[in-house]
Amino acid sequence: MIGFDEYIDKFNKCVGKYIPPRNTWTPADEALYKPKDLFRIPLKEAEQLQFKAVKFAFNHHYANNKFYQGFCKENNTSPEDIKTSDDLVKIPLIPDGFFKDYPHGREFATWLGNILTGDLPKIEIKQRIPTYDQVIDAFNKAGMLVSYSSGTGGRHTFIPRDQRTFFASEYAIAKSAVTMMYPFWEYDSSGYLLMPNPKKTNIYAGKVCLVYFDAIQNVNVAIDREITTELIQRMMSGGRGLKSKLIKLASRRASRQMIDDIIKWLEYHDKTNEKITFVGAPYILYFVMQKLKAQGRSFDFGERGGVATGGGWKIHENVRLSVADFRKEVKDVLGIPEKHCLDLYGMVEGNGWMAQCPEGHYLHVPYSYYKPIVLDDEFEQVGYGESGRFAFLDSAASSYPGFITTGDRVKLLEHCPVCDRPGPVLEPEVKRVAGAEMRGCAEEMRSMMTKDIGR
Amino acid sequence: MTSLREMKEKGYIPQRTQVKLIMGGVTSLGKLLIKSPGDIKRLRQMEPLKERYIRPQRAYNLPKYKDGMKYCDSEEKYLRPTLYCNCQAPEVIALANELGAYKKSDREFAEAAFHFVKEKLPLEILPFNEVEVTFRRGTGTCFHLITAFIALCRAAGIKARYKMFAMNMIQAWYDSTIDVDPVVKKWYDSMGYFMLEGEGEAYVDGKWIVSHVGPKAERQAAAGIPITKFGEDSIGVWFFALPGTTMRMESLPYGLAAMIGGAKKLAPGSMERVNVSIQNQIEMGRKIIEEAGGVEAYDKQARKKKGPKQPKMDLNGRKEIIFHE
Repeated sequence: MIGFDEYIDKFNKCVGKYIPPRNTWTPADEALYKPKDLFRIPLKEAEQLQFKAVKFAFNHHYANNKFYQGFCKENNTSPEDIKTSDDLVKIPLIPDGFFKDYPHGREFATWLGNILTGDLPKIEIKQRIPTYDQVIDAFNKAGMLVSYSSGTGGRHTFIPRDQRTFFASEYAIAKSAVTMMYPFWEYDSSGYLLMPNPKKTNIYAGKVCLVYFDAIQNVNVAIDREITTELIQRMMSGGRGLKSKLIKLASRRASRQMIDDIIKWLEYHDKTNEKITFVGAPYILYFVMQKLKAQGRSFDFGERGGVATGGGWKIHENVRLSVADFRKEVKDVLGIPEKHCLDLYGMVEGNGWMAQCPEGHYLHVPYSYYKPIVLDDEFEQVGYGESGRFAFLDSAASSYPGFITTGDRVKLLEHCPVCDRPGPVLEPEVKRVAGAEMRGCAEEMRSMMTKDIGR
Repeated sequence: MTSLREMKEKGYIPQRTQVKLIMGGVTSLGKLLIKSPGDIKRLRQMEPLKERYIRPQRAYNLPKYKDGMKYCDSEEKYLRPTLYCNCQAPEVIALANELGAYKKSDREFAEAAFHFVKEKLPLEILPFNEVEVTFRRGTGTCFHLITAFIALCRAAGIKARYKMFAMNMIQAWYDSTIDVDPVVKKWYDSMGYFMLEGEGEAYVDGKWIVSHVGPKAERQAAAGIPITKFGEDSIGVWFFALPGTTMRMESLPYGLAAMIGGAKKLAPGSMERVNVSIQNQIEMGRKIIEEAGGVEAYDKQARKKKGPKQPKMDLNGRKEIIFHE
């Protein structure tokens, strides 16, 4: 069996373009790119890496981001207050709702530009009242990578990343999955991306998977159409007019075709010896497995199959599939062992990916560059073992302040109860805090697709 | 008769966004009617054994209008009477005087008017009417109540206007106003948002100050949110405005009243179910406030739970963003 160091070196070679030149590394880069195994760093070493990385990021945003500096001043916190690891929790956290509270038209461009830390490239907006997509396109044309998620209730979360931050996010998701899948990953394999084509959307969950195309040789894409904020609105809102009707009709056909295409791909690979992976939203694979079950069919990919999922555990409006039940279905219908079926938990606001371990399926936190925090109902930090609202200090976010409270309810444990990796873990089922809005790109896509295929 | 010029000037003709939102709501409701006529028919009436809505008694004495009471008779924008908002009606003038018009500072009066409408006039879903009728009855929809607040301010010589937006809401609000009736729920869910919500804004000390007079303290307590004060927005506390839908106007537009009236005719049972739920929420909130040790104590607790304030975003342009004319 290949040694872990050699395995991760091979992976780093494949995704070399995502790693900044060594001589430009900041303490935040050091914490993400240097450790070979993000989940097995000795605690003391990780604590030092984390402190240096988060403190560096805080100084950077405080110095170069006007709105965040103002927010810190309002909270009476400045970089001088962060002297030890214990002080990191003093860093002011931005409520996730802030990134959903945006204006319209040209003001949206200004709002987006003001969230950005540091210098903006030259951005030209030609329209008098630009749409959200037109503003995003203008930013992205200038070299930014503005992405968004969850249009739940008509409001997206927009995050302006620069190329460096987006690369960090892509590298982190791939490294987290590949590390946990050790020794499964190999470049010469085929994969199916259960997400929109990263080249045709700015939805973060799809866009961040661009790295998949560099990490393995052959990638097929489930949703290969352009997906914009306008399309999501039309699909989700029972849009009126001929254009909406045509979009929906085309979309319904495409979704049905998508399930059939995935089954054909499975049939093809059933006859090869290649390793195969599925990456993306679990409900797409769920619909595929439902169809196979209805036809009385199954496959046996065994150890040469792998599944990495992210979010969207609702199958229908009121039915939530448990992560454990999903793994069992994957085992029964595709013959892929449960240890090769891992979930990752992340979000558009952050660049940390909590990856399940194959042994116990607890969500391991990449604790060298990302500090998880759990808050009680009064937004006070609680200790390990208690449930509460998830928040994080993300040093990999260099183009915007990644110190954010979420609407997710989690339980953080000091160690994994099953495996021997030393860092903190989240319990596998992440839920929404009562009163928070439904979230998630995967949820949006699921909702669109459930409508599409008429279930 | 109102001239076309007046209609335009006062904003009686709905703005484009309003038309789009109202049409969206009407189409969505129409679809619902076509798709589930049986449900609508069944839900038109209250189930026999279900709790019925009894309008609460008016929580204040309506003062008598006396000749010579001071009021603002300006025809200036934001001070003059508009649709359903006759700020020169005797009831309005009498109430404004009782609340301290022309004796208190503008801010003090606006705060007094805010507290009066917010805490004395509970929410009731019912067809639209003139503002003086609202004061005689003592209840109303959020638009009735906003109009009541605006009329009091205008009567006292303080400019006041409407702010409207399409919104979605926190779960607790959804549970008590949407999820209590299958028709309302289906309608809301099919759109993913509620087509129009409003707030009042009063021009005090050189600034437009927002205020939402819709929920009594008890309803806010039942939803677990802070008791909002004059100057605090509902957006970000229990509502979330859909980007690009916020509008400000002098008057309610034509069409809104007809829509509420139509909904009442179509689904009286649905309206009653929502009204029953609102009263139950008020009762529940009363107990929560009592247990917390009073309104102030409850509010302090709720504000702690609300978490950190949102950062303030200055929308001054950045030189790197070039807007072509």
